[in-house]
Amino acid sequence: MLVTGAGSGIGRSTALLLHQLGARLSVVDRDEAGLAALCADLNATNDNGAVTAHVADLANLDAIPDLVTQCVDANGLLHSVVHCAGIQAIMPLRTLQIESWRKIFAVNTEAGLVLAKAMSNRKVYAGDDGAIVFISSVMAQAGSVGAIAYSMSKAALEGIARSLSLELAPRRIRVNCIAPGFVRTPLFEQTEKLWDDAARKAVENLHPLGFGRPEDVANAVAFLIADTGRWITGSTLVVDGGYLAR
Amino acid sequence: MLEHAAGPINYLLITGASSGIGRDMAIALSDRYRLILNGRDAERLEATRQACATPDRHLCWTFDLADVHALADAFSAFLVTNGACVSDFVHCAAMLKVLPLRSISIGHAQSVINTNVLAAMELTRLLTRKSVNHKALRTIVFISTIASQFGAKGFTAYCASKAALDGLMRALAVELAPEVRVNSVLPGGVRTPMTEHMYADADIGARLTRDYPLGVGLPSDIIEAVAFLLSRESRWITGQQIVVDGGRSVNISA
Repeated sequence: MLVTGAGSGIGRSTALLLHQLGARLSVVDRDEAGLAALCADLNATNDNGAVTAHVADLANLDAIPDLVTQCVDANGLLHSVVHCAGIQAIMPLRTLQIESWRKIFAVNTEAGLVLAKAMSNRKVYAGDDGAIVFISSVMAQAGSVGAIAYSMSKAALEGIARSLSLELAPRRIRVNCIAPGFVRTPLFEQTEKLWDDAARKAVENLHPLGFGRPEDVANAVAFLIADTGRWITGSTLVVDGGYLAR
Repeated sequence: MLEHAAGPINYLLITGASSGIGRDMAIALSDRYRLILNGRDAERLEATRQACATPDRHLCWTFDLADVHALADAFSAFLVTNGACVSDFVHCAAMLKVLPLRSISIGHAQSVINTNVLAAMELTRLLTRKSVNHKALRTIVFISTIASQFGAKGFTAYCASKAALDGLMRALAVELAPEVRVNSVLPGGVRTPMTEHMYADADIGARLTRDYPLGVGLPSDIIEAVAFLLSRESRWITGQQIVVDGGRSVNISA
């Protein structure tokens, strides 16, 4: 299995859980220190499965096919890809720069598509029980000032998953999204710094179950990848503490 | 969970447990939960109980949920008699009769709404009363259908009832948080004894296979999603519709 964005937050939690469940893992992040810390923890937990780490910036889309080949060479054919890598920048329309916007779209969205394309290659895909999970966001369905690029990138990811699921169903690869609400991750803490206490409380109150933890999303990933999600494809599983239900 | 001889015991209530997905769900979850099985037919309900792991741990509550006026009294009496509380509730019971609009009577539509929606609301109302259920309730899962999102000929009362059930689910999720989580599972067409004749028909069978990108679904596929929503692994999921349909609803050409 290949997990992107594994150096921190949801990706890190997902890698830890999948490893604990016995998966052989290739973990990818642009943050070398984050990956090293993850690998240290993985080796400390148990001896399940092999782990290989790959430092890469997914904004460089052309390098992704080679990256996937390296993962296969190091760790065998792929059953699953979990695309957790994501970037966010608060960019209201008046300060929006098209290059920053494109960077967000490249990492959050296009990298997911290119990874899926690489995985579907016969020399890469293990051939059965395949699963692709894209980490989307409640922002795919909701809006927020300054989140034009992020919102769009995640909505597009869900669009990709719907049609891709139909194309890949005959090859027994299921494609689904998970749309988390506000989960306490380094990415979120970046945003949180911009708020005062009252603003933070106001956002937390939008979640009937409070803010989430990375493990909440990781558990949903495991549910979708495992045999428990055998008949689920093209769907978005919202994991948001009730945020969108209000 | 610790059980005290004097205190009430926590159960998982499954309605519609005498047949189809409800029956299979009861059997599949009977090694993890103590069950209260609800259905209309005492004999078939007892057959489900006997098929469960350690039948003696489980209870049968025979009651027709269409009778929503008598429901609250009947079920609270049942809980008292058995020293039982309900920590988890899966509403699986549903009436489905394919009828064109012109053949639907208001009486029929009302019993569909009663069984499919109002019984779920009435049971939830009862189970959130401290005097009846001692704040034991933690998770609720409603079995809806992807037909709550789309139209189909002959499904007016059923589609309306299931869309209402989804709305009820969201409202309850918000009102009962954070103590209780409430979600729906939306299955596509699943192969069960009730639908077996459709899959046996060559034409319908071919269409069902074509329309479902991942092929025919089984009750176990739905039960896995329910088990996930009942578990701690989903502790931050509430107010959601989990679609389990083999890709049917994203397939625009079906």
